Amino acid sequence: MATITRPLPGGARVDEHRPRLSEYLRWSVDHKIIGVQYMVTTFMFFIIGGSLAMLFRTELLTPQLDLVQNGQQYNQLFTMHGTIMIFLWVIPFFAGLANYLVPLMLGAKDMAFPWLNAFAFWIIPVAGVFMISGWLAGQAEAGWTSYPPLSTLFSGDGQTMWAISLHLLGISSILGAINFIVTIKNMRPEGMGYFQMPLFVWAILATSIIVVMSTPFLAGALTLMILDRVAGTAFFNPAEGGDVLLWQNVFWFYSHPAVYIMVMPGFGIISEVLSVHSRKPIFGYRAIALSSMAIALVGFTVWAHHMFTALTPELRIPFMITSMIIAVPTGIKIFSWLGTLWGGKLHLRTAMLFGLGFLSMFVIGGINGVMVAAVPFDIMVHDTYFVVSHLHFVLFGGSVFTIYAGIYHWFPKITGRMLDERLGKIHFWITYPAFFFTFFPMNILGMLGMPRRVAVYAPEFQTLNVIVSISAFALGISTFILIYNVFHSLAYGKRAGANPWRALTLEWATTSPPPAHNFIGDPVPFKNPYGYGTEAAFAYVKAIEDHFGAPDEPPLTRELTPKPASSGD
Amino acid sequence: MSDGFSVNIMQQQHLLEQRELSRDELIALQNKRTGVTVFQISWIMAFVCLIVVNLQLRGDFASWPPPGVEALEKVLPTLATVGLLVSMALTRSGLKSIQREQLSVFKSQWGVAIGLGAAFLAVMAFEWVTLPFSGQYSTVFRVMIAYHAIHTIVIGYIMIRVYRNAANYDAVHNWAVEAAAKLWYFVTIAWVLFYVVIYLI
Repeated sequence: MATITRPLPGGARVDEHRPRLSEYLRWSVDHKIIGVQYMVTTFMFFIIGGSLAMLFRTELLTPQLDLVQNGQQYNQLFTMHGTIMIFLWVIPFFAGLANYLVPLMLGAKDMAFPWLNAFAFWIIPVAGVFMISGWLAGQAEAGWTSYPPLSTLFSGDGQTMWAISLHLLGISSILGAINFIVTIKNMRPEGMGYFQMPLFVWAILATSIIVVMSTPFLAGALTLMILDRVAGTAFFNPAEGGDVLLWQNVFWFYSHPAVYIMVMPGFGIISEVLSVHSRKPIFGYRAIALSSMAIALVGFTVWAHHMFTALTPELRIPFMITSMIIAVPTGIKIFSWLGTLWGGKLHLRTAMLFGLGFLSMFVIGGINGVMVAAVPFDIMVHDTYFVVSHLHFVLFGGSVFTIYAGIYHWFPKITGRMLDERLGKIHFWITYPAFFFTFFPMNILGMLGMPRRVAVYAPEFQTLNVIVSISAFALGISTFILIYNVFHSLAYGKRAGANPWRALTLEWATTSPPPAHNFIGDPVPFKNPYGYGTEAAFAYVKAIEDHFGAPDEPPLTRELTPKPASSGD
Repeated sequence: MSDGFSVNIMQQQHLLEQRELSRDELIALQNKRTGVTVFQISWIMAFVCLIVVNLQLRGDFASWPPPGVEALEKVLPTLATVGLLVSMALTRSGLKSIQREQLSVFKSQWGVAIGLGAAFLAVMAFEWVTLPFSGQYSTVFRVMIAYHAIHTIVIGYIMIRVYRNAANYDAVHNWAVEAAAKLWYFVTIAWVLFYVVIYLI
């Protein structure tokens, strides 16, 4: 059990080294540079995607057309909003964070394939700019799901650019995932078996398995779409023997598992954040780790729940059952996180606040997810704002809240500076209610029958739409508090030291930011990465502080009374 | 503890001793091997996707080939498939030959393997060009053949590069040969899946 007390085998104290700005602007094979490149680039796309949302929420302040001139322009706005947020923000941001953290958490010098890593990143800005420049050629307008025939027979050339761009992003995603799987399998340090890995690494492993198995389906589907658009084939055109449902089947075989690609890394972040900031071992380590794999597996059996209205009745039932079953491993995680919090010493720092915010909002997303998994209910709310509410509760209340939690948690490691807690709390307390009042009224709108993807709606829906739009504006503005905080803290933030949260995972057993090749010598992992509150854990953290120095101002004021080391899970 | 890393290191200790690879080189080799394996498992799904497309499209017709459409000719493609399987076997033998440092044997085995690969491509190109247009039946055939042919050409080119550089490989440093061989296995297995769907069911 955890008797190791020194994270590093002696050696000289390492000075902190923050890379120069120019290093981030050019090709680099250092996973830490690449990680930051990913995160900053995708955040820019987040701002662009968010701005599009502000535009169509402005349009929806009134029931008639005012900002856009026609439905086509409106379609282009929400198509690009959805595509950018999914493929250029959430998925690659998590890839960036994982790029930064996985080698550090494994005590490795870098990813398994550094060159491939850089290549996977540089595809993203190129593909992103290419996709957005579709506005010069008649932007894609068939929604992020791009169902034919709208996407094949009607959209402008921007739709072809959209498909090519997504093809490139898919390749980037696959290359990144191969890199993660190989790194995790082969580069763990001695003494770290699979069940001693941090849960974030488990989450990235499960996510990467989904990526490598499902993304080639997207590649296949997009190839056919491009051929239909430019080469005269008619795979999706029923008039010539094609099948519109063919696209839906193949697309959702990728895109439903992709939902888990978009949220599973967030689960990993939450497992780290909740345990560290409640100073308590994670509850049910194995249950959380293995439920990720269960989600990865069951995630491949639910895709047709997106097509309930198109399915024959006898096919609906099995997909309804699997869709409900997948709530079970997710529920296991939720209860494990609640068990982690129970009896802990909660430190309500911003990272923790976003973690708790995630728990509450994601549960709502889960519950209205189970509601739409039920065929009778789904048929009633199909293509209404209820679905929009559900997907934003899981993708904003889930993914983005966890991203925010991750930023506040690991910013000190990445930059060597603490983010300002006061600004962070302002950010949270605007984001949290603004998020709720943006997306919860959509549940009601959906049940009242307001269809999604329309610029003109019935006047009786206006009051709720105004509430949604004003909340959305607040949500948009709150993002800039974070951006200001980042720049402010980079310049004036308190020095973080190696391990400001007194955490036990290996990324904290080196300087902030870590040096080239991450560690001096081979770091020794603590046997139980969540073994907080034991004497061994205290000794381990103290060894880190002795070696690297304590932070300027230790942010911890309370701590569990140390107990003798136990062989907890 | 018997995690994958430790087992791999233990299994390959002889490499460290006999082949004079450093620990870092050994891990790098292991990474490349795992990487190619994961790539194979991943990218085969793109071929499975096209198989799903084929099956769903034929489900929309009363029969397959659709009524009034002539079925594909099978003899030449079957011979080409056999040739590709032989090519895969020879590729594997060639890899073993390099590992035994039998360069001339390797060259003759891979020479024939590449020739069979080229013959396979030529046959499928002939099938592609001569098949009359018949709606979805011919379109899905052409897309599948072309999709596979792109992989065959790219990976075949890698095989040729390795073949031409054969003098640089020995019993220790032969990763390029191993990688090219594994990618050629991929091309073959992907084709067998396609062959079953296109010609047999």
